[in-house]
Amino acid sequence: MLNNAIRRHAPFWLSILVGIAIWEIAGRSTSQAFMVPFSTTMLELFRLVTSGEFIRQFLDSSQLFLTGFCVALAIGMPLGMLLARVPALRIGVEPYLMLLYATPLVALIPFILSMMGFGFAPKVLVVFLFSVFPVIYNTVEGARSIKPEMIEVARSFRSSEWALWRDVMVPYTLPYTMTGVRQAIGRALVGMIAAEFFLSSTGLGQLIMTASQNFDTAGVFASVLVIALIGVGLMRLGTAIEKHFARWRQ
Amino acid sequence: MTASAATIAQPTHDAGAEPLIRVHGLGKHYGALEVFRNIDFDVGAREIVAIVGPSGCGKTTLLRCIDGLLPHDVGEILVGDQRVIDPIPGVAMVFQHFGLFPWKTVSENVAYGLRMAGASKADIARKVPIFVKMVGLAGFENAFPYQMSGGMQQRCGLARALAVEPSVLLMDEPFAAVDAQTREILQFELLRIWQERPTAMIFVTHSIEEAVLLGHRVIVLKGRPSGVHEIIEIDLPEPRNRDTLRLARFAELRERVWATLMREAREAEFVLER
Repeated sequence: MLNNAIRRHAPFWLSILVGIAIWEIAGRSTSQAFMVPFSTTMLELFRLVTSGEFIRQFLDSSQLFLTGFCVALAIGMPLGMLLARVPALRIGVEPYLMLLYATPLVALIPFILSMMGFGFAPKVLVVFLFSVFPVIYNTVEGARSIKPEMIEVARSFRSSEWALWRDVMVPYTLPYTMTGVRQAIGRALVGMIAAEFFLSSTGLGQLIMTASQNFDTAGVFASVLVIALIGVGLMRLGTAIEKHFARWRQ
Repeated sequence: MTASAATIAQPTHDAGAEPLIRVHGLGKHYGALEVFRNIDFDVGAREIVAIVGPSGCGKTTLLRCIDGLLPHDVGEILVGDQRVIDPIPGVAMVFQHFGLFPWKTVSENVAYGLRMAGASKADIARKVPIFVKMVGLAGFENAFPYQMSGGMQQRCGLARALAVEPSVLLMDEPFAAVDAQTREILQFELLRIWQERPTAMIFVTHSIEEAVLLGHRVIVLKGRPSGVHEIIEIDLPEPRNRDTLRLARFAELRERVWATLMREAREAEFVLER
């Protein structure tokens, strides 16, 4: 049992160790202005965490991320189902959705800045815009793939429209929405950093900006490393959520 | 005397009594395509009527009209004294591809119809196990559809329909999607359940044998647009069971329905060739 576990996980940890080693060696053999070794990054991270600076910025970013993401979910999911249920609405709205989904949203940030100025709301809007489209898109695709027979069953048993949503549309579509949620997590993280870079500077984005402007490479590396790890953690969370909701699918 | 009059205290159909379902001059179009016209027949409160016909003759469409899932263009459908335009209470349908909700367990699927009918929680908790047991799914209450064979899934579909205690059961080729052995088992299960709780039943099928085994009357749909070509009285003794299959009269009736249908099939081929 234990042997098996070691054998399975060994390549993973070995690869991580090799990665850290390369980072350490590369960092020690180049100028500190370009790159700092792993050990220096860790020391800087430790300093940031213990000074309380990091926790404060992290909470700031989390608030932005969660607000934007929850709004995206709260609007994207019902809207997606409505679009699937009302074909005329879908045909009318779809071109705009496609246009916005295809637009590099970073390009919209100056426009949002001039419209809404600095503050919390425009940043939430950026996170929202980055994350809402995969949720809508996957929800529509999911809700449209409901077999007509299931709707017939509901009608045959005299389901109300509300019960049809609660008992059929929502449970059927949730796994698809969760695929959208998983895709949206990565995009929301990009949106969060972009908003913190280009709008009023706060959170982890600000930490990176300030460190970068002060040529504090260790600070940049520490912050980027943490953001990357948060991203990985959120993606795995997304996959777990997706699996949980899809357990009835073969 | 070959008819059922000889058996006493056995559930028998009552085709002679006031019918429960009345279909009058029913017609249906899909755009320019006329599916059927002038369909007339009745079903008694304790009668099984089987509908057979060549593929594409509109059997399933007819059944969906009777359930109120599809609108009809001409004529009327009465269940008791209610006109069918939308699905009405007291009528339950069993679907060809089972129509189970894959995210619901057996118990939750069986409870679905009751919940939609507004039954109380206590009522649902009391009734669901009865019908799960009736169809032989005791022990599988918490199984999901994907964990079960087709036969078990259709047992669940049947329990869901029975649970609302309908006076009319509409069966849309319910055993067409399961293998031959399972199909036979389910046919006799259905007969056993019907004898326990007789209802009016319309059973649409491709299988002549199934139609003759289950039906008190067999309706043969014909032509394009289709209409009722012949209604064949199936005077087999009640209760129907495995022994029914061995009766000379069963073979005779099966041949008769077969001959009627084959004549249809040849005519249909002829139409296509021209």
